[in-house]
Amino acid sequence: MKRINRSEVCADNSFTTQSRSSVALRMLLFFAALMVLLALSMLLGPSGIGIPDLESPSGSAILSLRFSRLLMGMMTGAALSASGVVFQALLRNPLAEPYVLGVSGGAGLGATLTILAGTGVVASFSLPVVAFLSAVVTLMVVYGIASQGTSGQPSVYSLILSGVIVSSICSSIIMFLVSTASVEGMHNVIWWMLGSLQPVSAGQQLLSAALLFGALAGIWLLSPRLNALALGREMAHYQGLHADLVIVIGLLLATLLAAIAVSLSGMIGFVGLIVPHVMRAIFGPDHRKLVPLAALGGGVFLVVCDAVARTLLAPVEIPVGVVTALAGGPFFLIILQRRMKQAWIA
Amino acid sequence: MQYDAMTFRNVSAGYKQRKVLDNVSFTVREGEFVSLIGPNGCGKSTLLKTAAALLKPLSGKVELFGQDVQHIKPALRASLLGVVPQKIESPMAFTVDQIVMNGRISSMGRWGTPSSIDHDLVERSMIYTDVLDLRERFFTELSGGEQQRVALAMVLAQDPKIIMLDESISHLDINHRQEVLQILMNLNREKQMTILLVSHDLTLSAGISDRFLLMEAGTLVKAGTPVEVLEPEVLSRVYNCDLHVQQDPYTGYLQVTGAIDSLRHRQKLNKSVHVIAGGGSGIELYRRLLIEGYEVTTGVLNRLDSDAEAARALNIPAVLEQPFSPVGSDAIAQALKMVGDADAVILSQVPFGSGNLVNLTLAEAALNSGKPVFLAEGIATRDYTEGKGALAVTTRLMQSGANAWHSMSELMTHLQQHQYR
Repeated sequence: MKRINRSEVCADNSFTTQSRSSVALRMLLFFAALMVLLALSMLLGPSGIGIPDLESPSGSAILSLRFSRLLMGMMTGAALSASGVVFQALLRNPLAEPYVLGVSGGAGLGATLTILAGTGVVASFSLPVVAFLSAVVTLMVVYGIASQGTSGQPSVYSLILSGVIVSSICSSIIMFLVSTASVEGMHNVIWWMLGSLQPVSAGQQLLSAALLFGALAGIWLLSPRLNALALGREMAHYQGLHADLVIVIGLLLATLLAAIAVSLSGMIGFVGLIVPHVMRAIFGPDHRKLVPLAALGGGVFLVVCDAVARTLLAPVEIPVGVVTALAGGPFFLIILQRRMKQAWIA
Repeated sequence: MQYDAMTFRNVSAGYKQRKVLDNVSFTVREGEFVSLIGPNGCGKSTLLKTAAALLKPLSGKVELFGQDVQHIKPALRASLLGVVPQKIESPMAFTVDQIVMNGRISSMGRWGTPSSIDHDLVERSMIYTDVLDLRERFFTELSGGEQQRVALAMVLAQDPKIIMLDESISHLDINHRQEVLQILMNLNREKQMTILLVSHDLTLSAGISDRFLLMEAGTLVKAGTPVEVLEPEVLSRVYNCDLHVQQDPYTGYLQVTGAIDSLRHRQKLNKSVHVIAGGGSGIELYRRLLIEGYEVTTGVLNRLDSDAEAARALNIPAVLEQPFSPVGSDAIAQALKMVGDADAVILSQVPFGSGNLVNLTLAEAALNSGKPVFLAEGIATRDYTEGKGALAVTTRLMQSGANAWHSMSELMTHLQQHQYR
């Protein structure tokens, strides 16, 4: 540093600090849209559109139910979306997502075992932990299979292939467990698997919220390094990062996020894929901005999907996983066909 | 005073079970411009990776400015040593200034917020590499040369004392290569930056380097000034081909050139074969015979015939007749002379008509003088002469001792047997 003579370069840094007004405007519009969407989803529900009568006990109960579903949605969506951002950056792969990589499937298997094994307070606390552990194991298996016979990073396609295979093995085991379970256990697991934002116990919500904020904070701290890692592990090493350490921590945090989401709301796919790509298209790939924005956007996206899910065929409630998948499936195909120019060029 | 910028002390390094570097020792002094040369797969990239602590040496140690590189903190290492890889790929649509800012990553704080010093260094390295105009473009949209300049800018932004380039310029066109080399030379001469360049262009490197390191199969064969290292005998052995080194009498520049001719006749057999072909039936035959090391002659062919074109391209002596004309007696006389010099005659799967039937007399002449003759099977299907003249002649030839062949490998075996008889 000492060698730098300040006077010999442009002191105002006008070349690298461009005007940020367009970014600020976009950000403002984005936040305004989020607020509007959140408010709208508070107004939607099977009991009718609009603010329920707060004077009556049923009205305030409806509003508080809508609010706790909103919180569930924000947490789950944020976790899935941030997890997708990290997987995509670390694996340098536009299709990486907890669902596609089998991480969600593994977490689901662990969660199913916990749900069937016990009820009550112990189960609701151990659910995120078991889900996390089984997700970590699954990720290791998927990565291990995919990197068989290659030196270094496995290819995009082998990762997705082994992710899909491991994922389907996990769901087969879940099916087996369900078919041998009691009627009540079967009902619990199936409802949970379909994915729903029914509020879980307060204790589990608190634990999940604490873990979620911890993991998000950790990822935000990693985010400048994620930028460097986007150029590959080798280049990040040359630029003075503990590249392997960052990759391991990042993968663990992303897996933790996926496990939190699964243990809260079951299997909800595609949020971790769509939201990061859309956010990257709007705000660019700089992870320092992308991580918080994608978390926020993912939360709101899921809340809106949930509002649609519970309103569209009211009083019948469509599982929210169905809505996200219907919105996300075609999107996934589009990405496969032509990578979005703004968001990802690979 | 000059320091030792980089020192390898008896370094062996490699990957699982496979040792690539074997006991390599050398020193690069601060401010030197060194070219690392050697054939593909000799361990140049492994050497760079070991120098940058990406690979841990199996034995020995690498020092940067006197410190063991394995024990230098990554951030400090990045301020001592920058590596420009062969190619950097950005999977996401980062802009050029975001990419270049990556060079400051290890010195930015926990939150990754660049200070004004970081901005200064990024701007300066972008000016130096002339990529300032590209700063808002997407990196992935740039041409290869532009990307390479951005990569160099990113590494310069690290403000390193040593820059290593891993064949980073070999696939640039001559204009951009010149430009990047100019930048490197300026850095070297003006800022005393130490440069280690992996290069395949020996002539170019000879013009700009202070020293050469020549590697072969994981070992350092020679280190020294370009004149010392660029010895034709050593180079020819290491690169396994015939290389010449010439010194320009006026500028003193060294020029390394390969002799193309030596590639073809790798092992000369001192045997020559005359091929009777036409209509494209001879091309594969010529090629195989040349690879096997035979001298090949051919004829009589009509000009513009694809075999005639092939013979010209392969530099094979051929007797040619005018296009679409029957083979005349002058041409046959010339061809007979060729057959007289040949050790064997091969007849390709050429169709026969009244115009080229006379070529068969060449085979007959060879047979009469006791030379082996090889006829492609299935003449009957290719005989378009009136009264099946070609079939009659070949049957007669077979009776007098000509051999038949139907596959290229069979023919090559036959030829070899005759050669050692």
